[in-house]
Amino acid sequence: MPTKDTYVAQFQRIDYKDTEILKKFLNPHGKIMPRRRTGLSAPNQRALAEAVKRARFMALLPYIVR
Amino acid sequence: MVTKSHPEEGLTQAIDSSADAGERVVYEVGFHVVPTIPEDGVAGVVEKVRQALGSAEIISEQFPKKIVLAYTVERANVGRRDKYNDAYFGFIKFALEREAIPAFEISLRGMRDVLRFLLIETVREDITQAPRRAVFASDRLEGETIKKPEAEAEKTGPVSDADIDKSIDALVA
Repeated sequence: MPTKDTYVAQFQRIDYKDTEILKKFLNPHGKIMPRRRTGLSAPNQRALAEAVKRARFMALLPYIVR
Repeated sequence: MVTKSHPEEGLTQAIDSSADAGERVVYEVGFHVVPTIPEDGVAGVVEKVRQALGSAEIISEQFPKKIVLAYTVERANVGRRDKYNDAYFGFIKFALEREAIPAFEISLRGMRDVLRFLLIETVREDITQAPRRAVFASDRLEGETIKKPEAEAEKTGPVSDADIDKSIDALVA
């Protein structure tokens, strides 16, 4: 059951170049939020994780934020 | 060939891969061009990448734009390490036979002007333009700005000494 501060969204497709969308699913340290926080379905959460990792490799997103 | 534990799945995989032979698959290559080359030299690098694609069908592309990188990218260069904090980022979406991809990757790796690249399998449709809608947990939140709950207005006016004593006692207790 999603809590009131859970961002519930389902993607049709997610792209690693959409960094503005991806940033909404990262915490202030740049870590990917857990499923219980994002409210995404399991396939969407996997797609999100893959897109974030691709964006990190391409230096579009940081690996860590200090 | 991908091996799978389930024999039927393995068979399906074999049938699929034989059907794919010679068929064009949609890929996207995103790449960073080194910032040391002048802006008018970027077109030359893009042309080299397109030449490496050979007979591929170009579906869409974005000309490289200068961006600030999220972290410093280092690359070894003859006894020293070059550091880059910005680069020209662009991408090309194309359709090409699966068998031609390793050669394309090798040629991209050989380009010194390409700082880093990412080659992924994707779909023909432009996924960045696809409609996307957030579904909120509650209907109350949809289309509304969440407002701060209003605090009860403070009562004004003269306060008797007895009320003040009572509130002090309540705080001390």
